[in-house]
Amino acid sequence: MQIPDRIEREVRIDAPIERVWALVTEAEHFGGWFADSGAEIDLRPGGAMTLSWEEHGTVRARVERVEPPRLFSYRWANAVDVEPREGHSTLVEFSLSAEDAGTRVRVVESGFASLDTSDQERQRQVDDNTKGWAIQLGNLAEHAGRALA
Amino acid sequence: MLAARSPEHVDLFAALGDPTRRAVLSALAARGEASATAIASQLPVSRPAVVKHLGVLDRAGLLDERRQGREVLFSVRPEPLESASRWLAVVASEWDRRLTALKRLAESS
Repeated sequence: MQIPDRIEREVRIDAPIERVWALVTEAEHFGGWFADSGAEIDLRPGGAMTLSWEEHGTVRARVERVEPPRLFSYRWANAVDVEPREGHSTLVEFSLSAEDAGTRVRVVESGFASLDTSDQERQRQVDDNTKGWAIQLGNLAEHAGRALA
Repeated sequence: MLAARSPEHVDLFAALGDPTRRAVLSALAARGEASATAIASQLPVSRPAVVKHLGVLDRAGLLDERRQGREVLFSVRPEPLESASRWLAVVASEWDRRLTALKRLAESS
Protein backbone atom coordinates (compact mmCIF):
# COMPACT_ATOMS: atom_id res chain seq x y z
CA MET A 1 0.00 0.00 0.00
CA GLN A 2 1.59 3.24 -1.17
CA ILE A 3 1.12 6.17 1.14
CA PRO A 4 2.80 9.28 -0.23
CA ASP A 5 4.30 11.75 2.22
CA ARG A 6 6.04 13.80 -0.41
CA ILE A 7 5.52 15.47 -3.71
CA GLU A 8 8.25 15.55 -6.35
CA ARG A 9 8.14 17.71 -9.45
CA GLU A 10 10.64 18.60 -12.17
CA VAL A 11 10.95 21.14 -14.90
CA ARG A 12 13.56 21.73 -17.59
CA ILE A 13 14.39 25.39 -18.18
CA ASP A 14 16.26 26.87 -21.12
CA ALA A 15 18.32 29.26 -19.05
CA PRO A 16 21.69 29.02 -17.32
CA ILE A 17 21.76 27.61 -13.80
CA GLU A 18 23.01 30.92 -12.34
CA ARG A 19 19.95 32.74 -13.67
CA VAL A 20 17.56 30.12 -12.34
CA TRP A 21 19.34 30.17 -8.98
CA ALA A 22 18.81 33.92 -8.79
CA LEU A 23 15.09 33.60 -9.59
CA VAL A 24 14.65 30.92 -6.95
CA THR A 25 16.60 32.57 -4.15
CA GLU A 26 16.23 36.34 -4.61
CA ALA A 27 13.21 37.74 -2.85
CA GLU A 28 12.25 40.24 -5.58
CA HIS A 29 11.88 37.39 -8.10
CA PHE A 30 10.64 34.70 -5.75
CA GLY A 31 7.89 36.95 -4.46
CA GLY A 32 6.57 37.25 -8.00
CA TRP A 33 6.44 33.73 -9.42
CA PHE A 34 5.84 31.91 -6.18
CA ALA A 35 3.70 34.36 -4.26
CA ASP A 36 1.89 37.38 -5.66
CA SER A 37 2.60 40.07 -3.11
CA GLY A 38 6.29 39.81 -2.45
CA ALA A 39 8.72 37.86 -0.33
CA GLU A 40 11.58 38.41 2.08
CA ILE A 41 14.47 35.99 2.20
CA ASP A 42 17.39 36.13 4.60
CA LEU A 43 19.45 33.77 2.47
CA ARG A 44 21.42 31.75 5.01
CA PRO A 45 20.65 28.61 7.01
CA GLY A 46 18.28 29.60 9.81
CA GLY A 47 17.38 32.85 8.05
CA ALA A 48 13.79 34.08 8.16
CA MET A 49 11.54 34.12 5.12
CA THR A 50 8.10 35.50 4.45
CA LEU A 51 5.83 34.86 1.49
CA SER A 52 2.90 37.18 0.94
CA TRP A 53 -0.32 36.84 -0.96
CA GLU A 54 -2.57 39.80 -1.52
CA GLU A 55 -5.79 38.11 -0.60
CA HIS A 56 -4.51 35.64 1.89
CA GLY A 57 -1.75 37.09 4.01
CA THR A 58 1.79 36.19 4.93
CA VAL A 59 3.26 32.74 5.43
CA ARG A 60 6.45 32.45 7.44
CA ALA A 61 9.28 30.14 6.55
CA ARG A 62 12.81 29.37 7.68
CA VAL A 63 15.74 28.78 5.37
CA GLU A 64 17.31 25.36 5.88
CA ARG A 65 20.08 24.91 3.30
CA VAL A 66 21.76 27.26 0.84
CA GLU A 67 24.33 25.67 -1.48
CA PRO A 68 24.68 27.90 -4.57
CA PRO A 69 23.83 27.22 -7.28
CA ARG A 70 22.45 23.75 -6.60
CA LEU A 71 20.40 23.45 -3.44
CA PHE A 72 17.97 25.74 -1.64
CA SER A 73 15.55 24.48 0.98
CA TYR A 74 13.17 25.98 3.48
CA ARG A 75 10.51 24.91 5.90
CA TRP A 76 7.25 26.80 5.62
CA ALA A 77 4.34 27.01 8.00
CA ASN A 78 1.11 25.26 7.18
CA ALA A 79 -0.97 28.35 7.93
CA VAL A 80 -0.61 32.12 7.78
CA ASP A 81 1.09 34.01 10.60
CA VAL A 82 2.44 31.04 12.52
CA GLU A 83 6.00 29.95 13.16
CA PRO A 84 7.26 27.24 10.79
CA ARG A 85 8.02 24.83 13.61
CA GLU A 86 7.99 21.04 13.60
CA GLY A 87 4.52 19.65 13.19
CA HIS A 88 3.28 22.89 11.65
CA SER A 89 5.37 23.02 8.53
CA THR A 90 6.53 21.11 5.49
CA LEU A 91 9.98 21.08 3.91
CA VAL A 92 10.54 22.37 0.38
CA GLU A 93 13.78 21.56 -1.44
CA PHE A 94 14.83 23.00 -4.77
CA SER A 95 17.62 21.08 -6.51
CA LEU A 96 19.17 22.64 -9.61
CA SER A 97 21.45 20.90 -12.08
CA ALA A 98 23.02 22.16 -15.29
CA GLU A 99 21.83 20.15 -18.26
CA ASP A 100 23.10 20.85 -21.77
CA ALA A 101 22.69 24.61 -22.08
CA GLY A 102 19.84 24.72 -19.58
CA THR A 103 18.85 23.80 -16.06
CA ARG A 104 16.82 21.02 -14.53
CA VAL A 105 14.87 22.08 -11.44
CA ARG A 106 13.56 19.43 -9.08
CA VAL A 107 11.30 20.35 -6.20
CA VAL A 108 10.37 18.06 -3.33
CA GLU A 109 7.83 19.00 -0.70
CA SER A 110 7.75 16.56 2.20
CA GLY A 111 6.54 16.13 5.75
CA PHE A 112 2.78 15.93 5.31
CA ALA A 113 2.74 12.90 7.60
CA SER A 114 4.52 14.79 10.38
CA LEU A 115 1.90 17.48 10.75
CA ASP A 116 0.83 17.66 14.33
CA THR A 117 -2.70 16.59 15.10
CA SER A 118 -2.54 16.79 18.86
CA ASP A 119 -3.31 20.38 19.66
CA GLN A 120 -6.49 22.32 19.32
CA GLU A 121 -4.91 25.30 17.64
CA ARG A 122 -4.35 23.02 14.69
CA GLN A 123 -8.04 22.76 14.01
CA ARG A 124 -8.36 26.50 13.69
CA GLN A 125 -5.33 26.67 11.43
CA VAL A 126 -6.70 23.93 9.26
CA ASP A 127 -10.02 25.69 8.95
CA ASP A 128 -8.33 28.97 8.01
CA ASN A 129 -6.05 27.25 5.60
CA THR A 130 -8.78 25.32 3.91
CA LYS A 131 -10.74 28.49 3.41
CA GLY A 132 -7.76 30.18 1.81
CA TRP A 133 -6.98 27.33 -0.47
CA ALA A 134 -9.55 27.93 -3.15
CA ILE A 135 -8.57 31.59 -3.36
CA GLN A 136 -4.94 30.63 -3.58
CA LEU A 137 -5.40 28.27 -6.47
CA GLY A 138 -7.11 31.03 -8.40
CA ASN A 139 -4.23 33.40 -7.70
CA LEU A 140 -1.68 30.92 -8.89
CA ALA A 141 -3.50 30.19 -12.09
CA GLU A 142 -3.80 33.91 -12.73
CA HIS A 143 -0.12 34.48 -12.07
CA ALA A 144 0.84 31.63 -14.37
CA GLY A 145 -1.37 33.23 -16.99
CA ARG A 146 0.33 36.58 -16.57
CA ALA A 147 3.73 34.94 -16.85
CA LEU A 148 2.62 33.39 -20.11
CA ALA A 149 1.45 36.69 -21.54
CA MET B 1 -0.26 29.19 -0.26
CA LEU B 2 0.30 25.90 1.40
CA ALA B 3 -1.76 23.01 0.32
CA ALA B 4 -5.25 22.63 1.61
CA ARG B 5 -5.32 20.61 4.77
CA SER B 6 -8.83 19.63 5.47
CA PRO B 7 -9.10 18.12 8.96
CA GLU B 8 -9.63 14.57 7.76
CA HIS B 9 -6.50 14.77 5.63
CA VAL B 10 -4.35 15.95 8.50
CA ASP B 11 -5.58 13.07 10.65
CA LEU B 12 -5.09 10.72 7.77
CA PHE B 13 -1.50 11.66 7.05
CA ALA B 14 -0.67 11.57 10.74
CA ALA B 15 -2.28 8.13 11.04
CA LEU B 16 -0.27 6.87 8.09
CA GLY B 17 2.96 8.49 9.19
CA ASP B 18 3.70 5.60 11.54
CA PRO B 19 5.32 2.53 9.93
CA THR B 20 3.65 0.08 12.33
CA ARG B 21 0.24 1.51 11.53
CA ARG B 22 0.96 1.19 7.84
CA ALA B 23 1.88 -2.45 8.46
CA VAL B 24 -1.37 -2.99 10.38
CA LEU B 25 -3.34 -1.41 7.55
CA SER B 26 -1.54 -3.45 4.91
CA ALA B 27 -2.12 -6.67 6.85
CA LEU B 28 -5.77 -5.79 7.14
CA ALA B 29 -6.05 -4.94 3.44
CA ALA B 30 -4.41 -8.25 2.52
CA ARG B 31 -6.79 -10.27 4.70
CA GLY B 32 -9.89 -8.34 3.77
CA GLU B 33 -11.26 -8.59 7.27
CA ALA B 34 -9.55 -9.51 10.53
CA SER B 35 -9.69 -9.21 14.31
CA ALA B 36 -7.06 -7.44 16.39
CA THR B 37 -5.92 -10.84 17.62
CA ALA B 38 -5.44 -12.15 14.09
CA ILE B 39 -3.42 -9.08 13.08
CA ALA B 40 -1.26 -9.33 16.22
CA SER B 41 -0.50 -12.96 15.39
CA GLN B 42 0.74 -11.91 11.97
CA LEU B 43 2.91 -8.93 13.00
CA PRO B 44 5.66 -8.55 15.60
CA VAL B 45 3.35 -6.31 17.62
CA SER B 46 1.39 -7.06 20.80
CA ARG B 47 -2.40 -7.22 20.70
CA PRO B 48 -2.81 -4.12 22.94
CA ALA B 49 -0.52 -2.20 20.59
CA VAL B 50 -2.53 -3.37 17.58
CA VAL B 51 -5.74 -2.23 19.30
CA LYS B 52 -4.22 1.19 19.88
CA HIS B 53 -3.11 1.51 16.27
CA LEU B 54 -6.53 0.39 15.06
CA GLY B 55 -8.03 3.18 17.16
CA VAL B 56 -5.90 5.81 15.40
CA LEU B 57 -6.71 4.35 11.98
CA ASP B 58 -10.40 4.29 12.87
CA ARG B 59 -10.37 7.97 13.92
CA ALA B 60 -8.82 8.80 10.55
CA GLY B 61 -11.83 7.14 8.91
CA LEU B 62 -9.83 4.23 7.53
CA LEU B 63 -11.70 1.32 9.13
CA ASP B 64 -15.02 -0.37 9.04
CA GLU B 65 -15.85 -2.77 11.82
CA ARG B 66 -18.51 -5.31 12.59
CA ARG B 67 -19.09 -7.63 15.49
CA GLN B 68 -19.09 -11.36 14.98
CA GLY B 69 -19.76 -13.31 18.16
CA ARG B 70 -17.22 -12.11 20.71
CA GLU B 71 -14.88 -10.67 18.12
CA VAL B 72 -14.76 -7.35 16.31
CA LEU B 73 -13.72 -7.74 12.70
CA PHE B 74 -12.03 -4.80 11.00
CA SER B 75 -11.70 -4.01 7.31
CA VAL B 76 -10.15 -1.12 5.35
CA ARG B 77 -12.25 1.78 4.09
CA PRO B 78 -10.41 2.93 0.97
CA GLU B 79 -12.30 6.21 0.47
CA PRO B 80 -10.06 8.44 2.65
CA LEU B 81 -6.98 7.10 0.85
CA GLU B 82 -8.49 7.94 -2.50
CA SER B 83 -9.45 11.38 -1.27
CA ALA B 84 -5.91 11.95 0.05
CA SER B 85 -4.46 10.92 -3.29
CA ARG B 86 -6.68 13.41 -5.05
CA TRP B 87 -5.65 16.10 -2.59
CA LEU B 88 -1.95 15.38 -3.13
CA ALA B 89 -2.59 15.62 -6.85
CA VAL B 90 -3.93 19.13 -6.27
CA VAL B 91 -0.80 20.04 -4.30
CA ALA B 92 1.31 18.61 -7.11
CA SER B 93 -0.55 20.61 -9.75
CA GLU B 94 0.07 23.71 -7.68
CA TRP B 95 3.79 22.98 -7.96
CA ASP B 96 3.43 22.45 -11.70
CA ARG B 97 1.89 25.89 -12.01
CA ARG B 98 4.68 27.49 -9.98
CA LEU B 99 7.42 25.74 -11.92
CA THR B 100 5.80 26.75 -15.19
CA ALA B 101 5.77 30.37 -14.01
CA LEU B 102 9.45 30.04 -13.05
CA LYS B 103 10.29 28.57 -16.44
CA ARG B 104 8.52 31.36 -18.33
CA LEU B 105 10.26 33.97 -16.26
CA ALA B 106 13.70 32.39 -16.65
CA GLU B 107 13.32 31.96 -20.39
CA SER B 108 12.00 35.49 -21.05
CA SER B 109 14.65 37.94 -22.23
